[in-house]
Parts: sequence; structure tokens; C-alpha cells
Amino acid sequence: MSLTDRIARGLESGWNVTDGAHLTEHLTTEADVVVIGTGAGGGTTAEILARSGLSVILVEEGRLYYQKDFKMDEQTSYANLYQEGMSRVTRDGAIAILQGRCVGGSTTVNWTSSFRTPAPTLNYWADQFGLEELRPDAMAPWFDGREERHSMSPWQADPNVNNDILRQGCEKLGYSWQIIPRNVKGCWNLGYCGVGCPTNAKQGALMTTIPGALDNNARLFHSLRADRLVMKQDQIDHLEASAFADDGVTPTGIKVNLKARHFVVAASAIGSPGLLLRSEIPDPNQRVGKRSFIHPVNATVAQMPQRVDPYYGAPQSIYSDEFNFRNGVDGPVGYKLEVPPLHPGMSSGVIPGHGENQINNMAGLPHMQSTIALLRDGFHPDSPGGTVSLRDDGSPVLDYPVTDYLWTGIREAFHTMAEIQFAAGADKVRLMHLDSDWYTNWTDAKAAINQLPMAPHRVRLFTAHQMGGCAMGSNPQNSVVNGFGEHHQVSNLSVHDASIFPTSIGANPQLSVYALAARNSARLAQRLS
Amino acid sequence: MNHPLPDSSGQPQFTDLNRRSFLKTGLSGALFLGTVSVTAGLSGCATEPAGRLSAVGTRMDASYQFRFLNEDDIALFEALLPAMIGPGLPEQSQARNMAIAGTIERIDAGIHKFGPANQKELRQLFDLLNFGLTRVTVARVWSSWPNVTTAEADAFLERWRTSRIGLFNNGYIALTKISNVAFYGYRDFWHLSGYPGPPQYAVDALPQFQNA
Repeated sequence: MSLTDRIARGLESGWNVTDGAHLTEHLTTEADVVVIGTGAGGGTTAEILARSGLSVILVEEGRLYYQKDFKMDEQTSYANLYQEGMSRVTRDGAIAILQGRCVGGSTTVNWTSSFRTPAPTLNYWADQFGLEELRPDAMAPWFDGREERHSMSPWQADPNVNNDILRQGCEKLGYSWQIIPRNVKGCWNLGYCGVGCPTNAKQGALMTTIPGALDNNARLFHSLRADRLVMKQDQIDHLEASAFADDGVTPTGIKVNLKARHFVVAASAIGSPGLLLRSEIPDPNQRVGKRSFIHPVNATVAQMPQRVDPYYGAPQSIYSDEFNFRNGVDGPVGYKLEVPPLHPGMSSGVIPGHGENQINNMAGLPHMQSTIALLRDGFHPDSPGGTVSLRDDGSPVLDYPVTDYLWTGIREAFHTMAEIQFAAGADKVRLMHLDSDWYTNWTDAKAAINQLPMAPHRVRLFTAHQMGGCAMGSNPQNSVVNGFGEHHQVSNLSVHDASIFPTSIGANPQLSVYALAARNSARLAQRLS
Repeated sequence: MNHPLPDSSGQPQFTDLNRRSFLKTGLSGALFLGTVSVTAGLSGCATEPAGRLSAVGTRMDASYQFRFLNEDDIALFEALLPAMIGPGLPEQSQARNMAIAGTIERIDAGIHKFGPANQKELRQLFDLLNFGLTRVTVARVWSSWPNVTTAEADAFLERWRTSRIGLFNNGYIALTKISNVAFYGYRDFWHLSGYPGPPQYAVDALPQFQNA
């Protein structure tokens, strides 16, 4: 149980950190490499490059929040730590997008689940996109390395009741289940990973690679948004960026120009395609923003006879892959089963309802269990994913049509989740669906699930995993970067985040991003040194 | 083609008639909605954030500075929240008014962090609901919001929840989500969900809670 705050100490020791809100004059500066984004990809990249002796500038649009700010409070955390103050949605509003916007990116607010990219996914990438060098055996050492760097290991303590109900239901029905590896060190098992770890136990970018980079003389600008990469002939010359005030959202009018030999974009699967599109980076085959993927998530909630206290304890510790690759890698859609934490703000926002119904829903919170299904999109001709494009104001937006292929999987996942909850002893179950009642037995639930319309808005859909849009591949005709994240057309540009995934992956993505970024950064460091 | 940079000014844009908008897509009856904000602006409806309101008469905390909601929006939420939260609101009238006022302030504070794109969509939604013609024709709410009863507000929410038109469902979700999170997520109302709050032993032990 360490109470030593790595960030406070580092700032005191003279780390080169600039809060964009404090800049009063326009600024131009330079480094060997500018890294845009400080999440799983950007943090890893910055640390590896800085350790190899290169000068590095990190740029983060969100602000630097750390232990002093992490007070286990939903409202302030959603407002400050999440994209668009937790209001980000797909273009038609049908899918809520949970994504970090702070130093450390989504790793500062994720629920710590740490999975390797599933082997069938890596093999599919090799077979379909010419990514032979990413086969599971070749990637294994990179996963090993990152598991060590981020202290990832299967959760040792007992799962909380919320997770244990998923385990019990799977046991009863003969479905496989496993324990989730988590990236924590000295975890207090409190349950507040999603609002910024209050104890510094979570070993996301904020506690590992960001301090590692800053210890090695990297410079961090936060509250500074990357607006545009500016080309000079066939190379990127500099990044134009603009500062936000200390509320994190109001532009101050201060501009910063950052020059470098090389630029690494790691601004997320929505932010990175957005930046490349705004910058009009050469894209002869119009691939930027295409084949953007999420894991669409649907959910059920159950009222259990026992107390669940779903707001306490490690939020995710049990999962089931029974249905993830059951139909092969490219058959009908597969889904991973997990559990979300339920705090009152989040619960009241995702369980649709108002008035007396809603207060009754909410009054059951201490006995509430929820199960979620993460659908593995992008492995089938009928699952082309979505598209990131720019709004009139230049900000990126994800258009994500839900195909019949996905709706079939969503209905099936509702069946699976309700069946598991009843098998685990639920008194009643309801779907996250505008038309769902509470069903008191599996027969009624099953009949209702067969009848309910599977339609946008009526089915409540979520995602915390954004992938693709700057796909890697050996063929420049259908990809943006090669298997090392190097841009096909612009030689001093790399992309090091989940946007390079050519499909979704079928698992929570942080370890996949860490591992690929580590591998690609090691190569980049060699190239530039 | 030159893309403009994101406009983060947070100011509602009233001049862009061609934008793809919240309620324009696929709903013929609402085709003119893109112009509602413009019309509302020209006809002298409240379009500026309400700023600091006088405590007297508004029941608001006079020290709170509104950044997004205008006076019409505040009246809208004063009418909707009793239906939205229902029996969760205190019965005693002063406590009830304080609960409503505080929730509206937290809604405003939340929206301030939403950023320009989602603020623009909410501006269109609120203008649609506040502008008399569209309030009647699209939301089918006959009285102006200060005169709407809780039963009428509930009926409106129920129509948008059960509608087969996805855009109305989306409006319902937008209104309930921001209201529910601002209400149930706030410590004064945690007891309604039986949430005991962060574990006390952690609060007592962690440095960020000391000298608070």
C-alpha cells in the first residue's frame, strides 16, 4: 500500500511539464520526436524513445490529473477525465462512447482488464492483412514485456459479488469462465478505477510510462490540443496546437508550434483519424477513418436476493470467452462476457428511465448485478464497422451503423446474459432496452427477448473500446500504416495506438496497444538514433 | 479542401442553416428545426447563458454562474425534473426547490464540459422544446413550460420514450441521462440508491481527502 505519489514527486523534482492553460504567449519549440497523445500508445512510445536518448515532446489535449484530484467522485471525474464530459456518442447518438481525455488517456479511467490480443485475432490479421510478423509467437515477448512493465497478473483476491455472479451463472450452465489479469500494484480493492485510481495502485500510463518518459527528460504539454500537422514537401514539418484554459474546454487563443524530425500520432481511434483528416495527410486510397471499430456492448441488469454492492471491489475480475470465438473467428458475431461496476450516477445514466420507475430501479442498486457482452466486430463481410469523419467544425465524429449481423449477435447476447443471471439466482432481470420490463423467470425473459425490437436507441448500446480508422496492413491500397505503424506515404509519421488495428480484437484493448506501441517504438528508436 | 479547426468557443452557433442537426435527419415534420435556433434568436427568446441569476424569485444559488443554460432552458428543467425524478424529490417545498435548482446547476456545469459539438445539438433540442411552435407541433406540449403540470411533463417524456421514431428516443435519452446523472450522482441523493459513498476507511487514510 504505497501512498507515495509519483506525479507530485516528479513535479517537485523539476519534470519538464507545461500546463497549456498557463501559457501567456505563443510558443515554438522542437524535439527529435513529437508524440501526440499520452494514453497506452503515446506513453509507451515516449518512454521508449526518451530512454534511448532521443528528445521527446508529449502533447495531451486533456489535463494532468493525479492522486490529489482522484476523490472517488463520479460527477467531477466524468466531467474532467472523459471525452466530451462523458457525453460522447456516435453520430446518430445511438451508442455511448466512454473514452478518457486526460494525461494517461483511457488508461487513467479504465477498469484495469489486461488481455493479450487473442491468438485467433492475430492469425486473422496475418491471413487477411499480410501482417505475418504479428503472429502470436512473434508477439509473445512483447506481451511478456508489457505485462511486467504494467504489473499485470490474474486478480488474486476473491472477485466481488458482482463478478462472482457471472462466475456462478457460467458454472451452473457449463460455460467456461476465467479470472481477469489486472494492471495493479498494491490495489486496495475499492472499486473506483473508472474515476481515477485514488491509491495510485493502477499501473496505467500515468503511473508507469509517463513518469518514465519525464524522468528521461521528455517534455509534457497538457491542456494543449493538436490541431494540424503541417507538411513541407513530402514530410511533416511541424504540429500546430492550441491551448485550453484550466477548465479544460475553453480555448485561450494561445498557439504552440512544435517542430520535430518524426511525429507519432497516438490520439485514439477517433482522435488520430481526426487529426490526419484535418491535416490533409496524403491518403491516396481514402483509407483514413474507414473501418473504424468498436466493441458494441449491450447489457442486462439483475436484482439478486443477496447484497451485491456493485460499486465496491475490483470492477472486473471474471470473464467468459465461451461465446467469443465459438463460431470460428469469422462466423456469426462472437462476444466476450464481463461485468461493469455500478455507481449511482453511471447506473442512472445507462439504465433508461424516469420518474417512479427510475427511482425503483435505482433503489435496487445494492442488490443489482449487471452483465455486459462485448461484440467482436470486423471479422465478417457483413461487419464493416464505422467511419470517422470531421464535423463542420473540424472535430471528429464516429458514424457507426449497426448491421443486421450485429443485431443478431446483440439479441443472442441478451439471451445468454439473462440466462446466466437467472442461473445464478436472480429474482428478476431486465434488458438495457427502452421496452424491457423486469422479467421474473427465464421463460418470460426468453420470450420477451425474441419479441423486442432490435433497433437503434431502443437497445441501449455502449462502448469503451475504439479501434481502427488508421488500419495497418502490408497493402497500401487498403491500409494507412504498415505492420510497424509507419505511414505508407509520409516517412516521418507513425501511428501508435488502437487506430492501427485492422479489426476489433475481442478483448479489452489496453495490453494490445501497449505491446504494439512497445514493439514499434523499439524499431523507431533504432531508426532515429 | 480546407477543414476549419474545431470551434471550442462554446458559443451556440446561430448562423449555420445547413448543418446536419440533431432532429433534421430523417424526420420530415422536423425539417424546419434547423432554423429554430435562428428564429428563436431573432425573435428575442432568451439565447444567452443565464449567467448569474438573482436569488430572489429564481430560487437559484445567486453565486452560481450559468455557462450554457438560458432562462428558458432553466424553466424547461424546472418543469421536467418533477416528472423526471418524481418521488425522489423532497416534499417540503423549500427543500424541493433547492433540490431542483441544485440539479439544474449541475446539469449546466456538466454541459459546460460537453464541448461545442454536443452543446450545439443540445442547444437545438432545447430550442425546439422552448420555441412555442415546435413545442406544440413536435413535442405536443400545449402550455409553455412554466405552466406544464408534472403529469403533462411525464406524458411528454413517456411519448418520446415509447415513440417509434428514433430521434425522439434519442431526445428522451439525452434529457433523462443528463438529469439522472446530475441528480442520482450527487451526494445529497445517494441515499435514494442505497449507495453509502466511498468507503470511509479509504477516505480517512488517503492524503487527497485530508485538509479538504
